[in-house]
Amino acid sequence: MAEAGRTVEDRLREEYFTLLPEICRVADQLEAEIRYLLLPISGRLHRYESLAVESRVKSCESALDKLRRHQETRDFKDRPPETYTLTSLNDLVGVRVLAFPRNWLVDIDRRLRSAFPNWTPDPVEDDGEVQAFKYHGYCAQASLRVRGEYQVVSMLTGLFWKVEHAAIYKPAARLA
Amino acid sequence: MKTLDVKQNILDDAGFAYNFDRMVYFNRKSRKIFSVEFVDDQPEEVLERKIREDTGGKEWKFYFNREPSELAKREIEATLG
Repeated sequence: MAEAGRTVEDRLREEYFTLLPEICRVADQLEAEIRYLLLPISGRLHRYESLAVESRVKSCESALDKLRRHQETRDFKDRPPETYTLTSLNDLVGVRVLAFPRNWLVDIDRRLRSAFPNWTPDPVEDDGEVQAFKYHGYCAQASLRVRGEYQVVSMLTGLFWKVEHAAIYKPAARLA
Repeated sequence: MKTLDVKQNILDDAGFAYNFDRMVYFNRKSRKIFSVEFVDDQPEEVLERKIREDTGGKEWKFYFNREPSELAKREIEATLG
């Protein structure tokens, strides 16, 4: 197809699938590193305590939507097409650490922060109170193009976000 | 009251509505459009001054951090009607 006839969305979809092997490598690497770093905690939890590590790869259309929402005009018509790139997103890969009870959060955050010292903090706050510790950066062993993000959040808040996200942001098609 | 709440009140009082798709505050009467980023980044005084600003009200006036292209402006105008 002639380059001139392609939409920005199509170009970005091609970029996504070019990046996908790297995206998967970052997801595997980040999840494995975080699980390893948290072994000293997961190995000494009481029976009523819980620690979960989950990873996800952002889907192609979610990545496009997010990049679109990051533009002030919410479309891809404001700049030359070649200037839009999915590598500008911070969370093509996301790892979430869920802990119960929440008093584990500070210890988990401290351990991960010391292992990823160059990652950029971007905490989720509500009324000045930190709801989740969040960071983004590169897993240099896996990719220098694809950024990953990890969050450390209480299990109750994290599960609420999961339900809210599924119900409000990405509702499944309603079958008749 | 938090700064964002104050700005929301300023826009509400001036008759601005919010468009979720475009993430802009707009007022069809004064024909002004504020992007969320502009509202976030500018102090309340600037926001109030821009709301009061006389633009003639014939054409939409865009208050964005970065001036949108003509094509992007037309798309947003079409969305808002």
